[in-house]
Amino acid sequence: MIIEGTRSVALEPQRLYTLLQDPDTLARCIPGCESLVKEGDQEYRLKMKLVIASVNGLFDGKVRIADPSPHESFRLIVEGSGRAGFVKGDGVIRLTSDNGAGTNVHYKGEVHVGGTIAAVGQRLLDMTAKMVIKRFFDKVSEEAVAKASGT
Amino acid sequence: MATTTTKSPALLVGQSLRRREDPRLITGTATYVDDVKMPGMHHACILRSPHAAARIRGIRTSRALEMPGVVAVFTGEDVAHLGPVPCGAALPGLRVPAHTVLARDRVYYVGHPVAVVVATDRYLAADALDAIEVDWEPLPAVADPEKALEPGSPAVHPEWPDNIAFTYKQEGGDVDKAFAEADVVVRQRLVNQRLIPVAMETRGVVAEWKPGDRQLTLYTSTQIPHLVRTLVAGMLKMPENRLRVVAPEVGGGFGSKLNVYAEEALMAFVAMKIGKPVKWIESRRENFVATIHGRGHVDYYEVAAKRDGTILGIKLKLIQDIGAYHQLLTPAIPTLSILMMPGLYKCKNVRADLIGVFTNCTPTDAYRGAGRPEATYGIERMVDILAAELQMDPAEIRFKNFVGSGEFPYQTATGLSYDSGDYAAPLRKALETVSYKTLREEQRKAREAGRLIGIGISTYGEICALGPSASLPCGGWESATVKIEPGGQVTVLTGISPHGQGEETTFAQIVADELGVSIDDVVVLHGDTSLVQYGIGTFGSRNTAIGGTALYFALQDLKEKLKKFGAMLLESDDVVWNRGRCVCMKSGKEVTLPEIAAASYRAMKLPENTDPGLVATRFWEPPNFTFPFGAHIVVTEVDSETGAVQILRYVAVDDCGKIINPLLVRGQIHGGVVQALGQVFYEHAVYDENGQLVTGELTDYAVPKASYIPAIESYHTETPSPVNPLGVKGVGEAGTIGCTPAAVNSVVDALSHLGVRHIDMPLTPEKIWKVIQDRRTA
Repeated sequence: MIIEGTRSVALEPQRLYTLLQDPDTLARCIPGCESLVKEGDQEYRLKMKLVIASVNGLFDGKVRIADPSPHESFRLIVEGSGRAGFVKGDGVIRLTSDNGAGTNVHYKGEVHVGGTIAAVGQRLLDMTAKMVIKRFFDKVSEEAVAKASGT
Repeated sequence: MATTTTKSPALLVGQSLRRREDPRLITGTATYVDDVKMPGMHHACILRSPHAAARIRGIRTSRALEMPGVVAVFTGEDVAHLGPVPCGAALPGLRVPAHTVLARDRVYYVGHPVAVVVATDRYLAADALDAIEVDWEPLPAVADPEKALEPGSPAVHPEWPDNIAFTYKQEGGDVDKAFAEADVVVRQRLVNQRLIPVAMETRGVVAEWKPGDRQLTLYTSTQIPHLVRTLVAGMLKMPENRLRVVAPEVGGGFGSKLNVYAEEALMAFVAMKIGKPVKWIESRRENFVATIHGRGHVDYYEVAAKRDGTILGIKLKLIQDIGAYHQLLTPAIPTLSILMMPGLYKCKNVRADLIGVFTNCTPTDAYRGAGRPEATYGIERMVDILAAELQMDPAEIRFKNFVGSGEFPYQTATGLSYDSGDYAAPLRKALETVSYKTLREEQRKAREAGRLIGIGISTYGEICALGPSASLPCGGWESATVKIEPGGQVTVLTGISPHGQGEETTFAQIVADELGVSIDDVVVLHGDTSLVQYGIGTFGSRNTAIGGTALYFALQDLKEKLKKFGAMLLESDDVVWNRGRCVCMKSGKEVTLPEIAAASYRAMKLPENTDPGLVATRFWEPPNFTFPFGAHIVVTEVDSETGAVQILRYVAVDDCGKIINPLLVRGQIHGGVVQALGQVFYEHAVYDENGQLVTGELTDYAVPKASYIPAIESYHTETPSPVNPLGVKGVGEAGTIGCTPAAVNSVVDALSHLGVRHIDMPLTPEKIWKVIQDRRTA
């Protein structure tokens, strides 16, 4: 499944980039995130609860940031598995200035799922992915607004 | 005769008696595997692969073993000494991958069993599955059989990089000559999609080991308890008389339980290992990946004909999706399709090239009809395509090519000997029933008014009563024991294993008629290898034709013995058996069956050379298959704006030989047609390119619901089979065989004026809508 989209966030690219690299912020923003622990340089262990169709489960996985190009883009590689199956994702996030005080976030990546979530959730996968991404950026926006007003 | 509504002494054979099985089934008092409960019973859950292909680098079970209630966890290494899951079919050059009970270093499909957790409670066992840590190395997978044949595709089994499980060729007549002489050749690729059998009861096993008696009992939801006993005993390397297999009530099989599964041997192993009874019940999601699938053909047909519609030759390239392994009969199923290639037609020149292809998917095997629905779909679609090409009426082209009613026994180009038939009769009756000519006129008018009405015909033949032993890997005979008890009641032990077919009723009808006893005095027992003499089981529409015939001969033996005792008691040699009485022709004196039964067991006096008691056992080997046939007509209307299809009329005229119980025959036709309509319109087991089954539960895999199904008008012609003394042929699969081509022919007919020639099943509204849109914009 290809996931692609654009989202605007009210924070300039430099500061948003920093925000998106901060494990504490990410832990707060990733829907269903139970823990995000730094395990190495640019590598995190993620525990996340996910509900798709009639399946729910805890996914235990790794998030790796690669090819960082500060304030502009980075690549995100996610691998997780749990009783409901496995998820593998690989995508690029690009940040561009919206010529104001905000940022347009472009994301594009490919996601593979297997096991029960593939068997019973395929129909809803696209919707669920969109929802997870929306909720993530909603939270990031909230944090961004707090950051922006906090300065 | 007290239970029947008709006048005494009417015979029961031929009457629509309600099933005697039903009260217990509909009041919840029947015993299925999951109803078996034993003191100390433990519960097993199975860890299955989420990957279609992966290497197992390591398995850690220590955390699972610490979970509450868990008593054991076993992996592939623990069961490495068990024999492989058996493949019974043999073909020259067949590649048989080692099908171990649990995966060891590699998995080959989603659902592949990897480990088993045993706990005091089913939920604790399921929870502990999460605590098993498997270090997977995912590998590339292939799920599409045609892609699997392409060079460079991932190898399902590394030892066979071409993914070919077997090839098989069959040829009859002179095909090349036929095609050279033809006026017209039509070609079409037809997909018979992969289906999931979806028996209402999933599989389940309870195993109990009694160390003192050295006896293992296996309750399993199966169609073949005796074959399971033989084959599981072999896997366990255990003497067969130490193993008892019981098929209690079985909630649907449709071929999916005509198999021997890893879990049967696995639960036996677990019970012996932990010294406690153990139960495993397959969940529905598990059932979707762990129980065999059906169909899975890609067929390339070519039919050669003369301009007048005479079919000269048929060529078929058949690609069978095997899945990752051979189950019990996997490779044999598409060979049945080839046997049936010519259908009911006089075509003497046929050539079939079959390729079985491994894919990283659940194995395919027998599913209701098992190869014959695919063949019938093929020939009946092709005949319609040919008719369209020649602008002939689809009924007319069929009449033109039928084997004539005077030509039986008829030798087919594929080596079969059709037993009896009048193939035109059911078609004539179906055409009359729908008023065909008027209907065509109505269709024309409707078309002018912008409505899309379709009329679809199929005239099918099938191979039933499987089968002569030479044709099967397991023996094709059947057995029956009839015991007249001292009180005069009759107990039948049959080697078949009915699970919805109703033989507790139909066999009792036969017994009641032959012996002249009340049907209420007849009990039919089956499905327990410790109770019943060896038998083959229930599949291939064989119960009545073979099991019923074994019963019939056992009854004849008993009647002879009853007459001997009767003659002794009446002190006359001149006696006849007459509906439950032995009558002296001279004096007119008679003795009743209960009187004879009492005398035979009391044995104060015995006829010369006669043993006490009244028990007879017969094993009967059929000399041939039987060949039922029929005609189905489906009238549909397609909504051009939505692509939705409405069935306006469904007429089925089936000839299954002599009918024992018309109500049950109708039930089988209804059930078969419903299942086939599922294939036509709704069902498809879809794998994504990575080998993930994406239709993994009933919300995504659409089985037909009652409201989707039209009224089915069921009629019969009755052509007795000469193969058995009952004259019966079989009807368990007729509905699935006759229906799919008739329904697809109907929808294609509705769209034919738009230039539509073929649409692959399932005919979803989306698919049809797209076809209509394409044609409009073309």
